[in-house]
Amino acid sequence: MIEIRGICKRFGEIIAVDQVSFQAENGSVTALLGPNGAGKTTTLRTIYGLIQPDGGHVLVDGIDVAEDPSGAQARLGVLSESRGVYPRLTAREHVRYFANLQGLRRREADTRCSALVDLLDMTDIADRRAEGFSQGERTKVALACALVHGPQNVILDEPTNGLDVMSTRAIRSMTRALREEGRCVVFSSHVMQEVAAVCDSIVIVSSGRVVAHGTPDELRAATGLESLEDVFVALTRSEGGPE
Amino acid sequence: MTRPLALLGVVLRKEILDGLRDRRSIISALVPLALLPLMVFYMFQLASDRMERDREITVPVVGAEHAQALIDWLAQQSGVEIMPGPSQPRRAVSEGSVKFVLVVPDDFGQRFARSKTAEVQIVVDSSDESAERAARRARSLIQGYGQLIASQRLIVRGVSPEVVRPVQVETVDLETEQERAAKALAFMPMLLVMTIFIGGLQIAIDSTAGERERGSLERLLANSVPRISIVGGKWLASVAFSWASLALTGVLLLLILERSPLREMGLRLDIGPREIAGIVLVVLPLALLVTALQMAVATLARSYKEAQSYVSFLMLLPVAPMVLMMDTPAEYALWQLFVPVLGQFNLINDLIEGAAFEPLSYAIAASVAIAGAIGMLLLTARLFRSEKIVFGR
Repeated sequence: MIEIRGICKRFGEIIAVDQVSFQAENGSVTALLGPNGAGKTTTLRTIYGLIQPDGGHVLVDGIDVAEDPSGAQARLGVLSESRGVYPRLTAREHVRYFANLQGLRRREADTRCSALVDLLDMTDIADRRAEGFSQGERTKVALACALVHGPQNVILDEPTNGLDVMSTRAIRSMTRALREEGRCVVFSSHVMQEVAAVCDSIVIVSSGRVVAHGTPDELRAATGLESLEDVFVALTRSEGGPE
Repeated sequence: MTRPLALLGVVLRKEILDGLRDRRSIISALVPLALLPLMVFYMFQLASDRMERDREITVPVVGAEHAQALIDWLAQQSGVEIMPGPSQPRRAVSEGSVKFVLVVPDDFGQRFARSKTAEVQIVVDSSDESAERAARRARSLIQGYGQLIASQRLIVRGVSPEVVRPVQVETVDLETEQERAAKALAFMPMLLVMTIFIGGLQIAIDSTAGERERGSLERLLANSVPRISIVGGKWLASVAFSWASLALTGVLLLLILERSPLREMGLRLDIGPREIAGIVLVVLPLALLVTALQMAVATLARSYKEAQSYVSFLMLLPVAPMVLMMDTPAEYALWQLFVPVLGQFNLINDLIEGAAFEPLSYAIAASVAIAGAIGMLLLTARLFRSEKIVFGR
């Protein structure tokens, strides 16, 4: 479970995140939805401790990230915005490296690694060096690295960005599987269909602020609009966000 | 304590594997070896300079019958062999069949007998370095003969030869064999110190600025791994490459010194496995500091390219102490041991000059390097916590 309580973050003059609060439950998928530059990535980075908020708290399974970043990180799997890979390591070596970094033993690491290779349909790239991997292949590698230690909480920053249909489906079914396992999944997106397809709860952010929070149905009821896209446009526009 | 260490090992293994697969890392570890031939060339040059003094020469003479006394005198000088010259001296020289030819004109005897200046010609292509050297020796011998005859003529006329020699220059060459050898080895410390500046450079940059630029740093840092394990692992990988490079250079240097005919050429180098091992031991701790410094600088840089140029600038660092040491060659003050690089240079000089090993001096220089390395590592670990550094500026 991830709780975000009134976090703020400014970069110089720009207020990137302004009093953002929401809660992401176990066994549910929470979407952070908003236009580009709304503060989604910054918010996610405060969860995995690479950005310290100027105010507010982030709790991961009750652990305050500011007090024990390492403890919080241990309970997190992170697919970060950047999908860089080590060009000279194979996909499998990537996953094994992250397994070892998370303290998994050799045999355990190998088992988990093979399972993820199957699950993410990576058999054909598993033993190829990452140099020249496509965006989809790199996302799969990154996702496998994030999930190798079986974290209770999973952060996915724009997971389907730039992916083809097949890869998008793989990510989507992975997200559902994580929910079925009772994990807490938070992902960010600026694509409505993506959010509608998998999420249980939506947090709409615009210009660093939470403008709406609820299930898709609740949001439709609150705005009186049928399509989620209309809801999104209506909410972000009323807050003065970009068109 | 065991967990950070185990994680450090994980990072270290990955970076070494990554480095071994990176052609640029391998090249940067091998570059110092390419500098060795330069040094060998220099030493041969020094050795051959020395041999020039008593070089044996063969003098092809055309018209020897016109100056029999001169030729007979020349033949008596040590290391000189007279042979009949070619019929067409200029052609023979330009074809290279002989190095030079001494040509005695027909009127030499007449002019000589009348105490007029008699001319001989040396035909040589001075662009040919070795021919010019041989000709130079022949020239100076003939001038010596001229001096001899001049003195005799003056004495016959009742004049002291000293009258026409108001000033005489005598060079007292104090250069001993030891010093000549030291000269030959002067840039060995520089070479070995350069080795550690180059050997681990690529990994230091690639694992910091490179990892950030490729966009894998954020993911790495999002793991529950202490920063010091990450930084320490990357650093030790760089150190490993640096040390490997140093060891290779040391071994190759040793082989060159042992196998090359420098000794036979009269350059006595009192340097063997013991000295080389000593120098390597002196430089090893310095590698800890240099790689840590390179990493900190590369982490601070905004981009990979910027990191490369900053780290290249660092290579100028050892030049300053080198210049400083030219003023104070033999003795050095205690404070110099506390200055990284400078301290090492001084210790190496002691070793080459055969001074007794001073454990305390070694300990001081090594501790300074290790302390500096720790400082740099803590700084880098701190930088890895900075949002501006991790996400770029």
